Amino acid sequence: MASSAHAIPGATAGPARARRTSFRVLLRRSRPVLLPAITAILALAAWEFVVRYNDVPQVILPAPSAVFDTIVANFGLLMFHTWQTASEAAAGLVLAIVCGVSLGMALTYSPLLRDAMFPNLVFFQLIPKVALAPLFIMWLGIGSISRLAFALFISFFPIVISTMAGLTNVDPNVIRMCRSLTATDWQIFLSVRFPFALPYIFNGLKIGVTMAMIGVIVGEFITSQAGLGYLILFGSSQADTPVIFASIAVLCTVGLAFFGIVAIADRIMRRWFGGAITG
Amino acid sequence: MASAGASARDRAVAPRSGRTLIEVAGLRKVYNSGEDAVEAVSSVSFTVATGQFVSILGPSGCGKSTLLMMVAGLESKTGGSIAIDAMPVDGPRPDIGVMFQDSVLLPWKTAIQNVLFPVQMRRLPVDRYAAKAAELLDFVGLAGFHHKKPHELSGGMRQRVSICRALVTDPDVLLMDEPFSALDAITRDQMNVALMDIWERYRKTALFVTHSIREAVYLADRVLVMGTRPSTVICDLEVPFARPRDLSVGETTEFNEMCGFLRRKIEHSYAEQARDLAAAARKEVVNG
Repeated sequence: MASSAHAIPGATAGPARARRTSFRVLLRRSRPVLLPAITAILALAAWEFVVRYNDVPQVILPAPSAVFDTIVANFGLLMFHTWQTASEAAAGLVLAIVCGVSLGMALTYSPLLRDAMFPNLVFFQLIPKVALAPLFIMWLGIGSISRLAFALFISFFPIVISTMAGLTNVDPNVIRMCRSLTATDWQIFLSVRFPFALPYIFNGLKIGVTMAMIGVIVGEFITSQAGLGYLILFGSSQADTPVIFASIAVLCTVGLAFFGIVAIADRIMRRWFGGAITG
Repeated sequence: MASAGASARDRAVAPRSGRTLIEVAGLRKVYNSGEDAVEAVSSVSFTVATGQFVSILGPSGCGKSTLLMMVAGLESKTGGSIAIDAMPVDGPRPDIGVMFQDSVLLPWKTAIQNVLFPVQMRRLPVDRYAAKAAELLDFVGLAGFHHKKPHELSGGMRQRVSICRALVTDPDVLLMDEPFSALDAITRDQMNVALMDIWERYRKTALFVTHSIREAVYLADRVLVMGTRPSTVICDLEVPFARPRDLSVGETTEFNEMCGFLRRKIEHSYAEQARDLAAAARKEVVNG
């Protein structure tokens, strides 16, 4: 590369230019990470500046540095509540995966069940589900069971839909190939339909994971003695705005971590799956 | 290359007097019923002897693929009968290997895992067939590609894997539904040579559906031409060229005369169909 650059008359600045080009390439590559990070940092800095410059009271809007200090000072307390929220959301999501995938399979394989249930399921989906949260408390009490059930309830629908989409969108030629090998329906399901459905199921999971978090927080808002939702309400009752912001910051981190786990699992699955599925 | 003895045996045109393996009689397929009824296959009868390679040639829409799928047991028949090895075909059978237009490989499995897929589906011991799968892949020129996934292979390579998959459990009959029609002309020639090599070696009784006249003649011991409306066998032609053949056989006068003959047969069938359609249209005008 460099030697061929030297061979061109007048291109004496070859190495320097190469270095500059590689820096540009690096810049272009890191752009998807760098650009949003810089934007976020600038926004935080502006926030900090506005708060300090105008002497905004902490009750109205604490500066990012104050929020950070609150997180550091109350780290143990925050972690206790985080554990409550995260464990309930995770359990709700796991149950949603089990129920959602099973129901998706049942609806795909039984036309009777599909015709009887699917329109109702879609109709049910139109109800603002948060409005049903108090009912869960009425039925299941104020313990974590009701929050878990509510998280399951609002996160499982996208998983059902994506499972059905995945199981029905298998290339009919592949099914025919399997049938030519005298494969049974069960064999076809295990070795072809389910693997083909996996990328679709993961798309549903990515929606479900945020839904599960929302479910638990809403449950905690209604009634609880622990959890980040509880801490936010508590902070608001004490007019302790920094605690509210600290809880929200931790909540964002937990949500991001959950989404990250699903995204990594999705990536591993896609690599295993091969290059056939994109997007 | 084959030994002198083998080529002398091969020079004898495929044994038509050999034992009949595939017997198709009065086969018929009608889609839908009543007003919407469409006759895909009208009345097809033919027999294929053990070890014979038969091409089924016809224009698109003549029902040749439907015919093949019925022989494979993948499509129900409206009338007539199919028997392989004197046993009626009424569903997919383990003694039939099928190659489709598309390679239909599973994208998450490597080449050799795809070849072993039928073994897995038939609940046969995979480790006993692993050597056979490797040997087949080596034979079709995929020696360095056993552990590559389909997206890392070219279209031609994928169809080579698909041939191996159809042959791994050693079926008596190999059915091929336009397996090379999606490939470019040069790759297609290479695939024809590869198919001939592997067929010379394993000598499966083969039915090969195609709409390419040259491909049909190059590969087969016998060419069946199917016409449209009615969709029946309109010509049954022996191909006398010695085996093993290479692509240069396509440059001989006999080969080209045979292709010309077949082309005229197909055109003639088309012309008849056009005349019939025109007649039907006239009748409709008169009646309407």
